[in-house]
Amino acid sequence: MKTDQFEKRKLELSCLTDEELNRKFWELSEKIVDPLVKLAYENTSPSIERSVLLRMGFNSLEAKGFVDKCFERGLLGKGAGHVVLKVSEALKRDYLAIGREMAEGKHWEIAEKLLKGVNVG
Amino acid sequence: MSLESTKKLDVDDILTDLAHYRPKRKGWHWREAHPNGKQEGSYQYEEISKPLSQSVPLPAGRYFDHIDPQPQEIITAEIASGRFEDDIRRMRMAAWHGADHIMVIRTLGQSHFDGLIEGTPEGTGGVPITRKEVRATRKALDLIEEEVGRPINFHSYVSGIAGPEVAVLFAEEGVNGAHQDPQYNVLYRGINPIRSFVDAAVAKTLMASADILQIDGAHNANASSKVAWKVMPELLVQHAINSAFSVRVGMDKSLISLSTVPPMTSPSPSFRLNFVYALTIRELFKEFRFRAQMNTRYIESDLFDATRIHVLDAVLSRLTQADIQSTITPDEGRNVPWHINSIRGVETAKHTLVAMDGMKKYIGPKTEVLKDEMRDLKIRAILYMEDILENGGYFEAVEKGFFVDSGYFPERNGDGITRKKDGELGAGTVVPRETDYYAPVCHHYGYNALPPGVERACDPIGGCTLDHPEKIQFVDELDENDNVDVRRATVRESESKGMLKPEVEWKNDGIIQLDITIPDNPDIAEAAALEIANRLGLEEPTVISKTILHPAEATYVEIKARVPFFVDRSALRLPEKNVTLSEEEITRYVHENPLRVVAGTVGNDEHSVGIREILDIKHGGIEKFGIKYTYLGTSVPVEKMIDAAIETNSKAILCSMIITHNDVHIEEMRKIHQLCIEKGVRDRLLLIAGGTQIKNETAVQAGMDAGFGRGTKGIDVASFIVKTFQRKKAGD
Repeated sequence: MKTDQFEKRKLELSCLTDEELNRKFWELSEKIVDPLVKLAYENTSPSIERSVLLRMGFNSLEAKGFVDKCFERGLLGKGAGHVVLKVSEALKRDYLAIGREMAEGKHWEIAEKLLKGVNVG
Repeated sequence: MSLESTKKLDVDDILTDLAHYRPKRKGWHWREAHPNGKQEGSYQYEEISKPLSQSVPLPAGRYFDHIDPQPQEIITAEIASGRFEDDIRRMRMAAWHGADHIMVIRTLGQSHFDGLIEGTPEGTGGVPITRKEVRATRKALDLIEEEVGRPINFHSYVSGIAGPEVAVLFAEEGVNGAHQDPQYNVLYRGINPIRSFVDAAVAKTLMASADILQIDGAHNANASSKVAWKVMPELLVQHAINSAFSVRVGMDKSLISLSTVPPMTSPSPSFRLNFVYALTIRELFKEFRFRAQMNTRYIESDLFDATRIHVLDAVLSRLTQADIQSTITPDEGRNVPWHINSIRGVETAKHTLVAMDGMKKYIGPKTEVLKDEMRDLKIRAILYMEDILENGGYFEAVEKGFFVDSGYFPERNGDGITRKKDGELGAGTVVPRETDYYAPVCHHYGYNALPPGVERACDPIGGCTLDHPEKIQFVDELDENDNVDVRRATVRESESKGMLKPEVEWKNDGIIQLDITIPDNPDIAEAAALEIANRLGLEEPTVISKTILHPAEATYVEIKARVPFFVDRSALRLPEKNVTLSEEEITRYVHENPLRVVAGTVGNDEHSVGIREILDIKHGGIEKFGIKYTYLGTSVPVEKMIDAAIETNSKAILCSMIITHNDVHIEEMRKIHQLCIEKGVRDRLLLIAGGTQIKNETAVQAGMDAGFGRGTKGIDVASFIVKTFQRKKAGD
């Protein structure tokens, strides 16, 4: 912001009461964070998905193995927990056991078929 | 399992059966109201909280019936040794001095570790935060808080590239407070800006679910900028961004704490600048909490300078508002945070806050004078934010180097930190949630398409770990060489044999500090000090601080070095403790054999506090047992002491001697002994010397009957007098 512009706007703001200044401060904060909140609402990340798996009862090593593979296969946007549940439902087995096997590389073709409609095999 | 004040915390006990340990409580805990009308001892306070059941009072506490009033503010101790097994012992020390917020610094580089670390590897500048270390620490704190009678908040960091996972860990394991601010990731950790904010929303929601208090990271701008006061408008903006974002993702304002630092220090006219800033931020953020941090930006290696800065910072807290008063070890400038300095930091905060109890009742800001400066600061922050929006928003502002620029807004010097929106660590890892995105867990921020018929997100898995902790998996050690068992093995042997080494942060580190004044210039003084340490047989001597007393006359040097040997605890010869008669026995004897003494401070010595304590009934002095006394005051000539003893038919003379320069006290002792002989009264008078530096042996050598040093109570003196007369009587 140029100095002359700053001085001009400062003068405009100097008419505001203390309360009005405080309100203005918070309105602008909200405007800055609006797109950040929207971004967070609509997106996920490997760490977020690992945090989901931890809450489901996986340990950190299993969560890491699973999410790395989920990301590589473009399935992270489905939700890692969602992926493991879908596969365990299809195989009718406990999701923790399935998740551990998927962390080691198994069952991903089933996951892709179930969630992307892709028939890899 | 519970702790006893006379026994060491058993690290092996803490490590036993950790796999099944659950924290006793969760969530942040503020200090509780004082139950007793805020009366401690004979003093009435305005701003104190519930006392501790066991503690170490301030040094002067012994003059005030050992009271240890606890301010209303939470007091923080930062702990960063890199070994949690030593940290937990430090936490116990800090808790006994009044810390109830234990901030555990993470190891260097953890923020770039993409996932959780497990086990107990050693850290640098802090510990690797792992489930095992967090659980062991919480377990130790659960015991320590019972020992001192006040809940202790355990705090660490939800920052870096694995924020959401760390937040889960903290929510599960009963961590009570955490730093969380995506701007910290972006600016100081070089983590992709988009990833930082997306992760932060989930992390914050998880923290909120376990009532974890959040502390933001804006104060780092202050510590990083070239001239700290110039970032004041930016600091307000950074606090606002994190606070607004946190509220929007579900955090309660009462659990959002701004980390604020008085930006400047002396020799600048710092108080004025800091005061305006402190008032402005507290007015703008009145619905939030404040964690007042000590200034670290200008800390050098001089402990006294750091302490002076910290005292003034705490004055500012008292004059404005602080919910948490943080402390930094005053040796932060040397990067050697030691036990003693951590405790000194806590004592500085406690001392200052208690001393200024109720200050605002009498002293307050002159708002009319301050108004214009406060408005100027607010307007600069407002226009700063307009500038961000006009440049396309937060990410674009970061790309353009808006933050941590050394200019005072609107001035910009082009030296701000720049980070690319689509670059840095973790770029390209953020993925849009698809329309069927589903996370089967509670407390999850963002879009979540629950399958038809599912009410709670975690119903299909039968509940998640936040409600069903039995589902949590405990991972033990992953590295067979770098873990607590290997480290404990090396110290366990010396521990079991009772072998002792000095310690500043780690068991058996062997480090001591030497304070040396060399009458020469700084270069010579440094070399001479190192030579002295070498000749003393110390290992790895290092200069940690230097103060020029005069460029040519003298330099004060502080050295740290290692002691290469152990001391055998069992081979130490302790001086015999003086066993006193019981109160009843003394009282009975005095009742049957009335006793009078004369007392005073002899020579040119105006100190009277110690002798009054020995005499007065109020302090448990000899008067309590019926002994009559004539107090002659301070700077009493020895002749006068003896004459008064003869006149009042006293049986003992109590001489207080605080000044010991050039052994003046020894001279006085010899003189009074000699004069008593000359006057022919030595046999019928007991001569007793007392003072902080007095030792019984030297007093007896100088002709006295006894000498009493630091920590002496009235009963010690009374018991000695009665025992001596009983012995004389028996001899007769």
